[in-house]
Amino acid sequence: MSFRSIDVDALDDEPLVQEELFCYSDGTEIDPQEALNNVQTKGIEVRNLLTKNNSEDALITAISDPPYGLNTTDAKVELNAKIVMDVLNSIKATDILSLIKRLSIEQQDVLMKYIYCGMARVKKPKEKEPPEPFNSAVLLNWHEKLTEIAGVGCIVRVITDRKTV
Amino acid sequence: MSQTEIRQFNFGPITAHAFNKDRTQVAICPNNNEVQIHQRTAGGWSLIHTLVEASHDKLVTSIDWAVETNQIVTCSQDRNAYVWNLDQTSGKWKPTLVLLRFNRAATFVRWSPNETKFAVASGSKCIAICYFDEENDWWNSKHLKKPIRSTVLSLDWHSNSILLAAGCADFKARVFSAYIKGVDQKPAPTPWGDKLPFNTVCGEFSNGGGGWIHSVAFSPSGDALAITGHDSQITIIYPGQEFYTVKTNNLPFLSLLWVNDNQLIAAGYDCVPVLFERQNDQSWKFSKVLDVSKKKNINESSTAFNRFRDLDARGISSRSGSDETELNSIHQNTITSLRPYNGTPGDISHFSSSGLDGRLVIWNFQSLESQFKGLKV
Repeated sequence: MSFRSIDVDALDDEPLVQEELFCYSDGTEIDPQEALNNVQTKGIEVRNLLTKNNSEDALITAISDPPYGLNTTDAKVELNAKIVMDVLNSIKATDILSLIKRLSIEQQDVLMKYIYCGMARVKKPKEKEPPEPFNSAVLLNWHEKLTEIAGVGCIVRVITDRKTV
Repeated sequence: MSQTEIRQFNFGPITAHAFNKDRTQVAICPNNNEVQIHQRTAGGWSLIHTLVEASHDKLVTSIDWAVETNQIVTCSQDRNAYVWNLDQTSGKWKPTLVLLRFNRAATFVRWSPNETKFAVASGSKCIAICYFDEENDWWNSKHLKKPIRSTVLSLDWHSNSILLAAGCADFKARVFSAYIKGVDQKPAPTPWGDKLPFNTVCGEFSNGGGGWIHSVAFSPSGDALAITGHDSQITIIYPGQEFYTVKTNNLPFLSLLWVNDNQLIAAGYDCVPVLFERQNDQSWKFSKVLDVSKKKNINESSTAFNRFRDLDARGISSRSGSDETELNSIHQNTITSLRPYNGTPGDISHFSSSGLDGRLVIWNFQSLESQFKGLKV
């Protein structure tokens, strides 16, 4: 099976690269610093909404305008995922279903992206310390409810989309 | 014929199927390098030809039958395409090799509606438009290259036989001009453009969600294009005007078929054809699942028998016999191809589907429609 390790794209004159695929799925690259600033402002907004017990708007704000891009890792992983996670943790299990029903299909898709992103939070090879894992029980509960409403189509869209969170 | 007709042609997948003009013969590929032609008989279907001599040596990926001129074109992973003609004296199909000049597999082939040309999609980031060169007595090809960046997975011709839509693995669907000087007449203007030299890109569309574009289809009038990708949504584009995206809860679709300008059938990984509709020029909506088969009743008395039979014949041990291992749908695996069977473009009354389960199903759309109407009342 040694042929499996051959990089067939290297033999191509003009290989299709990640940046291009991101672009082809309608993604627009933004400056990593700007993305980080945006997410920080969003974080404050979400916290304010949470203190006012407005969890619905907090969720919608947290998943709005995600820092898509190939170089926005800091804004993505370190910040926005945490913000969304805080909101998900703060919502009572009994309210989940009614809240998901009020989201648009687009919002449901983004929420699903964050659920998968949260579950994928494990130690990367180059990192020294593993990040603190999110509460999987909460994530699985949200995943179950969201799949009930949005179906497998939502999951397929999340897996397919190059605009990752 | 009023009911849905089901025929198991192969125990593996059917990679492609195409009917002749009067629908008495069907060409299928049983997931290998052969093309089989089956003839409809009183009791069902019988194999009359196997097109394998001096032709493909790898999997046949696509078949199309030019019904008026009675020619079959096939393409394969061996990077070649053959045009088959029925030799009247010997009664056998004779292949002619087409010079495609691909360095990767050929993935999809379709005759233009006027049957003077055909287009072959490939993994070598291009589409070959093939036409018959009278002088040299062979099929010649011209490549549509720019701006395709990856494998082309599906094609569909506009009714004017000039415009060609292509769905690609680089997440884009494109509309090209495949105008060949000396073969084609100057086309009438369409919403896609009026000046159409070869390789004009008349439109480039993304479904927004990314994912390979599995299927493209021009509406019967040619004034709209439907595309579907691996993101479980369909997009219907009216050039220069609005476009509609319908996100579904289902698994992705692999094939699209327009019934008329306001109804579209899609099928794919969910193993059932579904209908999308547009009423009174409003936006497009998911309408219904067209497969009405119901859960089969498990015959209690024969359960033990089925169980042992399954263990013996198929090595399957299920708790309640064979019924549990079957899907509730007619197709038991992914549907990969939808084709019109009966009716004119814009008024399809029957359609056929084939897929990975080796079944060819002919659906009576009209009677399915009336069944649903009965349900509503």
